[in-house]
Amino acid sequence: MAWRRLARLNLSRSRSRITSLHYLLSNTSPDLSSESLTASLYSQFPKLTATSISHDRRWYSYSTNLGQAQAISSGGELVEVPLAQTGEGIAECELLKWFVQQGDHVEEFQRLCEVQSDKATIEITSRFKGQIHQINFNPGDIVKVGETLLKILTEHSESDSSERTSPFDVETSSADAQNQIQVSSFSGGVLSTPAVRHLAKQHNLDINQIPGTGKDGRVLKEDVLNYAINQGHICKDSPSTDKVELFNEKGELRGNFVSTSAYEDKTIPLRGFHRAMVKSMTLAVQVPHFHYLEEINFSALVELKEAFKNENKDQNIKHTFLPFLIKSLSMALTKFPLMNSSLSEETSEVILKGCHNIGVAMATEYGLVVPNIKMVQSLSVLEITKELSRLHELATHNKLNTDDVTGGTITLSNIGAIGGKFGSPLLNLPEVAIIALGRIQRLPRFDEDGNIYPASVTNVTIGADHRVVDGATVARFCNEWKNLIEKPQLLLLHMR
Amino acid sequence: MNLHNAKKTALPIMNLVKMQGVPILDQLHLEERLLRSDFKNWCILNVGTPQPTIVMGVSGKPSELVNIKSVIYNQVPVIRRFTGGGTVIVDKETIFVTLICSREAVPLLNLYPQPIMSWTGTLYHDALSDFGKFHLRENDYVFNNLKFGGNAQSITKNRWIHHTSFLWDYDVKNMDYLKHPPRSPKYRLERSHEEFLCKMKYFVPSKLIFIEKTLNSLQKHFVLRPIQADDINALNIPYAPSSRLLTKEELEKELLSTTA
Repeated sequence: MAWRRLARLNLSRSRSRITSLHYLLSNTSPDLSSESLTASLYSQFPKLTATSISHDRRWYSYSTNLGQAQAISSGGELVEVPLAQTGEGIAECELLKWFVQQGDHVEEFQRLCEVQSDKATIEITSRFKGQIHQINFNPGDIVKVGETLLKILTEHSESDSSERTSPFDVETSSADAQNQIQVSSFSGGVLSTPAVRHLAKQHNLDINQIPGTGKDGRVLKEDVLNYAINQGHICKDSPSTDKVELFNEKGELRGNFVSTSAYEDKTIPLRGFHRAMVKSMTLAVQVPHFHYLEEINFSALVELKEAFKNENKDQNIKHTFLPFLIKSLSMALTKFPLMNSSLSEETSEVILKGCHNIGVAMATEYGLVVPNIKMVQSLSVLEITKELSRLHELATHNKLNTDDVTGGTITLSNIGAIGGKFGSPLLNLPEVAIIALGRIQRLPRFDEDGNIYPASVTNVTIGADHRVVDGATVARFCNEWKNLIEKPQLLLLHMR
Repeated sequence: MNLHNAKKTALPIMNLVKMQGVPILDQLHLEERLLRSDFKNWCILNVGTPQPTIVMGVSGKPSELVNIKSVIYNQVPVIRRFTGGGTVIVDKETIFVTLICSREAVPLLNLYPQPIMSWTGTLYHDALSDFGKFHLRENDYVFNNLKFGGNAQSITKNRWIHHTSFLWDYDVKNMDYLKHPPRSPKYRLERSHEEFLCKMKYFVPSKLIFIEKTLNSLQKHFVLRPIQADDINALNIPYAPSSRLLTKEELEKELLSTTA
């Protein structure tokens, strides 16, 4: 009943009026029932006139607290529009909706989007005139302060605006007029754009003192720069060495020129692999890890590798330890499938994975990436070698596809190739085990007869999810794998 | 006196609309239209909405904010309003006060959430400090540490709206329809509704006095001009507002999606 009553009040259907507004202090107040009707909608309401444009500190600011460069609009430039800091300590907002889409043309101060922070919905307007080049967020996304909301290809040019006499000027004259009202209210009389104003500020110049050569005495970018040179102004406070002048007043190269950039902080945005690493490590840290350390004697493996190398007819294949380790790992997993599993928390189940998709951590210039070799149990050592080489090549050139980096069931990290003896690797979720191989060292060890001989040993650290596997399982698994590595002939015995 | 009058005439005009028992959805529709399609300053006062109604902010999932099962079972209307902020349940003992202003209405006020919130805090402090220890605590109006007024805002290019639902009185059972929100003010400290809220009627002598005091406080900043019903109708504001009632089907779907 209540539903239906209120459904009738739905505005989109109703065109009736508030006919009985009950005044609070009135004596003859009709009793308002829930049947009261909504205000009417007719289309003759006078158009809004924007007469109230004054000092417009919209939901953007000239300088953000994050120190990100605000691109100066200077004609045909792609500018990034960040969600600006308001100084209120708001760290993020939810994007509610866009009023523009890619390809749209926007004017200065036109609405771009609406965001929500805590208690308020706020409209963000454009500082620039131009075309929407790229939109980075969808409605519902959380945007952190400082992140780029969208990119605008600006079309405004200070020098052009004074010289152009095309019909376009006529159409935009009212916008220009508004801009002029806008800018003159800033400085009490000097006409210029916010970008030029910013440039003057950067050079510590009073824009009111600068003679303008643009239309109606407008101060242009060139005017600011010429004035700065004439005054012998140096950008003392400029944070960027791009602005530091190399030449003094006489035009001579400055002596003792020291680059200040070496001492400044650099901000690197997190992208690609690095960003993914932040995400995956944050998740990994929530899992209770334990680490198991074992020493493995690679002496037999070293001999085997030499044998492979000598027999190798194909110059393109480089034999390393890794393919063998991967194959023996797969064989050990056959006996200990729990090490090749995944935990499903929602259903409280452990899924024993059928395929041995062994991931190999690779450090590339783009960051850490872990492609995996699929179904290792069905591949020969040679096939594994080739596949490893293929993945390494792709990773180096950042050409791995999604299939290569998903579906892994256990990970191997050959950090020892770079250095280190021990590690405490973090799991590559949703896997339950990860193995880090330390550097191969030449150390004295005892053989079966009690004689000392030079052995190639390496430390292996196994990290495991203690919700799924216990120490005993890992220890037995590691013993099995160690045995296969130290006695490669066993591999032959058990190989399918 | 002359000086006072002269000073008064320099203040901007604010249209004052007083209502009683107008359904909150109608009020929200009116407010949104006045915000987006008008350019004058407005104060909307509405004493009570006929039936207990849940009003959610512009975003936010009903399943996180509301006990959907009991809401559907008891047929409690749920509205999604056009401003940000949290979820409230309002009824005939709730007093609504809304301020809609243009940019220059309050001199030197920056059109950001916090400055506006702060300014309204001083407004209500003037009105209510005689009756209790009034504070603006994070985004709520409180007496001591107990909330009696919840706020929400929307800021557009040149205008802003700040509306408040004041709990003159409430039925504590109705609060059970609302869940503890995922994001709640720090000062709430995990308290339940009964421990966190208070009823204005225990602090302020009467609704009339509260309204009078509020209008007096407003008059320090604006010249209030009462508006008749016909005048509002004559505005013919051509805007389709976005605040709406959620349908039963939507709520059921939301319930299914969370239990699936």
